[in-house]
Amino acid sequence: MLSFLIYALVNTVFVILISPLFVSLIKKVKAYMQGREGPPLLQTYYLLGKLLKKETVYSGNTSLIIRITPYVNVVCVIAASLFVPVIYIPMSVGGIGNIILFLYLLVCAKFFMALAGLDAGSTFGGMGSSREMTVSAVIEPVIIIVFAALSLLLKTTNLYQMFAISLKSSLFINPSTLLISLSLFIILIVESARIPVDNPETHLELTMIHEAMLLEYSGPDLAMMEISHAIKQTLLMAVLINVLIPWGLTATPGVLSVSISVITFIAKGAVLAIVVGVFESLFAKSRLFRLPNLFMLAFFFSFSTILFELLR
Amino acid sequence: MMNLLFVCGLCVFFGVTLLQAVFAARASAAVRRFSLWAMLCANLLLLAFSLTIVLRNSTFYLNLYQISAAMRFSFSVDRLAAYFIMIISLVSATVCLYSLGYVEHHGSNTGKNFLLAMMSLFIVSMLLLVASDNTFSLLFFWEIMSITSFLMVMFDRDQADTRKSGLFYFVMTQMSTAFLMFGFIAIYHVSGSFDIAPVTGISETFKAFIFLSLFIGFGIKAGVMPFHKWLPYAHSASPSNISALMSGVMIKVAIYGLIRYLLFVLTPDRWWGVMILVFGTFSALLGVIYALKEHDIKKLLAYHSIENIGIILIGIGLYLIFQSYGFSDLATLALIGSLFHTLNHALFKSLLFLTTGSVVNATGTRNIEKMGGLIKVMPYTGILFLIGSVSIAALPPFNGFVSELMIFQAFLQSFIISNPFLKIILFLGLSLFALTSALAAACFVKAFGVIFLATPRSEEARKAKEVSWYMIAGPAIIAVLCILLGIFSFQLFSSLGFTLPITNMAFIGLALLVILGLVWLIMRLVGNRTTRRSETWGCGIISQHSNMEYTASGFSEPILTIFRPIYRTRKNVDRNFHDPGRSIFKDGIAEIHTFKLFEERIYLPVAHFIEKLSGVVSNLHDVDLDTYILYSFAAVVILIIAVGWFI
Repeated sequence: MLSFLIYALVNTVFVILISPLFVSLIKKVKAYMQGREGPPLLQTYYLLGKLLKKETVYSGNTSLIIRITPYVNVVCVIAASLFVPVIYIPMSVGGIGNIILFLYLLVCAKFFMALAGLDAGSTFGGMGSSREMTVSAVIEPVIIIVFAALSLLLKTTNLYQMFAISLKSSLFINPSTLLISLSLFIILIVESARIPVDNPETHLELTMIHEAMLLEYSGPDLAMMEISHAIKQTLLMAVLINVLIPWGLTATPGVLSVSISVITFIAKGAVLAIVVGVFESLFAKSRLFRLPNLFMLAFFFSFSTILFELLR
Repeated sequence: MMNLLFVCGLCVFFGVTLLQAVFAARASAAVRRFSLWAMLCANLLLLAFSLTIVLRNSTFYLNLYQISAAMRFSFSVDRLAAYFIMIISLVSATVCLYSLGYVEHHGSNTGKNFLLAMMSLFIVSMLLLVASDNTFSLLFFWEIMSITSFLMVMFDRDQADTRKSGLFYFVMTQMSTAFLMFGFIAIYHVSGSFDIAPVTGISETFKAFIFLSLFIGFGIKAGVMPFHKWLPYAHSASPSNISALMSGVMIKVAIYGLIRYLLFVLTPDRWWGVMILVFGTFSALLGVIYALKEHDIKKLLAYHSIENIGIILIGIGLYLIFQSYGFSDLATLALIGSLFHTLNHALFKSLLFLTTGSVVNATGTRNIEKMGGLIKVMPYTGILFLIGSVSIAALPPFNGFVSELMIFQAFLQSFIISNPFLKIILFLGLSLFALTSALAAACFVKAFGVIFLATPRSEEARKAKEVSWYMIAGPAIIAVLCILLGIFSFQLFSSLGFTLPITNMAFIGLALLVILGLVWLIMRLVGNRTTRRSETWGCGIISQHSNMEYTASGFSEPILTIFRPIYRTRKNVDRNFHDPGRSIFKDGIAEIHTFKLFEERIYLPVAHFIEKLSGVVSNLHDVDLDTYILYSFAAVVILIIAVGWFI
């Protein structure tokens, strides 16, 4: 129990600290692809620090929803971060690590964010929440089937055990992880609101989804929304990394092994962030009603994994 | 002791019915208050009674009245029956508390008294139905339940809408009784008794016939697609406290019947499970998809009842499938999940219907487009509705999440089944189930957001007032239960003797609290705490108007577009022009209709066929005396031939 608490503390703090770095890195890569220099790597940290010092402005139309949502978001996402070990794989306590619970904690954050979008009565916010809930409804079967395929492949529904098993087995034993990773990558793109689903760069354009819901936020509240979005992205990246290339992650706590895990995770995360940045630069934002096609692709990959596994 | 609790409770209910029915014309508000308090106490007695049986896992038997050896009103309550009695009395108790504030708002004096008489009879008939230990008494109380609920649906009978809904409901509910009767007579044919006891030695086809007629009979009452059409009609027409009872409790009684016959009377085949799973999946998905397009808040909730009945059926289907393969651990998980969802749905759906009743009362409309901003004028109702929404959207750590988690968990472990075909069906069912629950979340963002957030979109919504204390206390009790049942689910199941492979939500709840405390502390320390009030940002528009807000139609439009093949919208555009070349536009009408698939393709053809048939029969009647004599002669001849044939 005590070791779990230590794990929880270290893992969470590490995830919170590393998340803004990946956000800036993706921006940097995109800028490089566009021929610009881009912001410094620590820009997101400066931004959060600045936001914390600013005052909060609320619209007169708002209710308590817009005030509690930043807390709900941060709490849900931090609780979800307990489910994704990046420093070492601990023993599961009280059923923590259940994938359904992990997914629904993220849904809980999204639910309140969508409500907050409607709270101020702004057209942008409403549009954002409507689209966010639509996209999340259509991607949900894909997410579940991806994790069902994982649980079929690794014979467990606990994330800790999944990572432990994929750590022991290699790609040659489980080639199906490649297919699953493609779907996981699409989920990462969708859930972290990136091109071609959403455009994180354009504020106040009619194409945006995620940013539209945050329009009414300012000051420390906005900082909380931004950090929780960054953490969510890191968590989904970590799931993909731990399934596809888990090497370096350790199952035994210890100063040396944990520091190896941390360093390899930062390296792998940086590579994935570069891939995401390049991927975003290669595509254009697609129409909202074209998105189900992309999701069907992910659904196809993961369902074919299930079929392969059944035929094996 | 148990006898006393049970009989006392029943006596109070019947007493209230008598009191309210006999003095229907004269009884005043004080008498009605007395009746409701009496009903509340009777419900608490029965709650104590059922909780004792559930906790001790004991049984209770009472032979109340005997017409003949086969036809008797005898009751036997085991753990399953007691569980459902607990659901009924718990929900009814809170509804009674709510009704103390609610019933006085509309209707004539006689109407209100009659409503209470029917409500009491309705609750007691459901209780006795669940307790019945033979088919005769079950069917008797089934009919009383149907008729009293029909009379309550007709409360606003001056409105044409209500009359149509009432008639629709009455026809459907009698059809359900007819199908149940087929099944019961078939069982009697085999076993020779009306007892609800295991039946063995039936041929496969006959067993299939019994199962199908019972499934249709109970399915109509539970609102399983495609027998669901009465539900949105009846729920939107009846007063809100009655909707809460009907949706929260009555449709669960049908689930009880189904579970009772599947578990204790028949020996299920594997295909039954698959069939129930398929029906459940489609009810769940189509229920939520239809709910998304509704703007009538009570119809929206009614469609969500169909969705949740679907989820309960999915659990039952999984139970039957796993049981037929001998995986009893997984089967138990699915069944307990489905039973727990029954309780949870009873709670959060009655919570939502009651708070909706308050909102409809305060604004005078059921159309959510005309609401908005209500959380500022009705904060308590708003927060209670939010808790209901969060529970039904299955967000952790609320109760709706735990039961869906159990069903998900059972689904995810279906890889141990060897049959690949069945495995694929199960994985497809899993993905549709996930879609359902995500759409439910979207639908309740819409419902809560459009009703309670932003600014009012009509004069009525602007003038709305918070409702009376009773109308907050009733739902508040349920809201607290929703949270407690979610957080302490693991401890609850352990204390009942079930150790299930689910997450300990108390631990998660504690973790969430600790994290919240830390985050709050950190934000207090490092964050700037000054706030300022300003306008909503609107691209430089001087002042925001409520016309600019996102409405319910706008919110669900993208989903409607994506699922267009299911809604089958028809666009109808009529344009008139000034000139023959059709270039100068004069006026025109544009309409968008959603095609009522079930009504136009299934219900109306059947109704037309019956209408035609009854036309033929009535033509036969419209003749002179000679022809009647010919009919009698023909009947006698047919009878003689028939008798000769069989003997």
